Amino acid sequence: MEIERNEDGSFTLSEIEPTLTEILLSIPSAIEPEGDEKVLNRLYPSPVSSPAETEVLQEWNEYVAPELRKLFHDAAVIVKDDLDRLVDEPSQLTIPAANVDAWLNVLNQARLALAARYDVTEEDMERPIAPVLNDDREVALFQIHFYGFLQECLIKGIESHDF
Amino acid sequence: MTTETLTQTKEKTEIGAPWNVVVHNDPVNLMSYVTMVFKRVFGYSTQQATRHMLEVHHKGRSVLWTGERERAEFYIQQLHSYLLLATLERAES
Repeated sequence: MEIERNEDGSFTLSEIEPTLTEILLSIPSAIEPEGDEKVLNRLYPSPVSSPAETEVLQEWNEYVAPELRKLFHDAAVIVKDDLDRLVDEPSQLTIPAANVDAWLNVLNQARLALAARYDVTEEDMERPIAPVLNDDREVALFQIHFYGFLQECLIKGIESHDF
Repeated sequence: MTTETLTQTKEKTEIGAPWNVVVHNDPVNLMSYVTMVFKRVFGYSTQQATRHMLEVHHKGRSVLWTGERERAEFYIQQLHSYLLLATLERAES
């Protein structure tokens, strides 16, 4: 797979291998909490160090939490629309410049949700990727690394342009 | 009269007391991503943002900003929108 930043700020992923197309298409399911408390707690963590700060928590739950849920949902819709194009053309994907922030957000949602779901530790993250993915946890670790690689490419592309 | 004075003084102290914006370590978030977020949210230079990112990575947490509650809450909201583990806490006087 190759990733290129275009003149207009969009990114093109080309020569995407079928396995990676599948991994990209699984982003929407990766960010779905499906009632998993661990995932929900990581995507929407407490805003206070002390649970005694009830006033802050109450205001947060009333005003901020719904805004965050909407932000994450809207970003997911943008990414899903971009991914729909992969179905017709599985080896190439263009991420429009206006959608790059949504992609950064959703890739992070996916990485954090998978890590929470499979109790991924710092040691897991430092270990080399298994050559053969034997179970769902190994697949999840591969997804986390691949989505991280994509994030890194997008960030480098943005920052080299800003510079 | 005395009670009123005490109440007013306490409220004034609480309103004016500073709050810390703290970011905690997370094994999954990329260092480059965290640095980018610090630059965007706080307007830090790459050097400042990297210093805080490394403090989070090595010490487990870093105080990114200290000041009035309303602004601190705004920063926490911004950091959560980027999915960083960030909390608000009262600064020790």
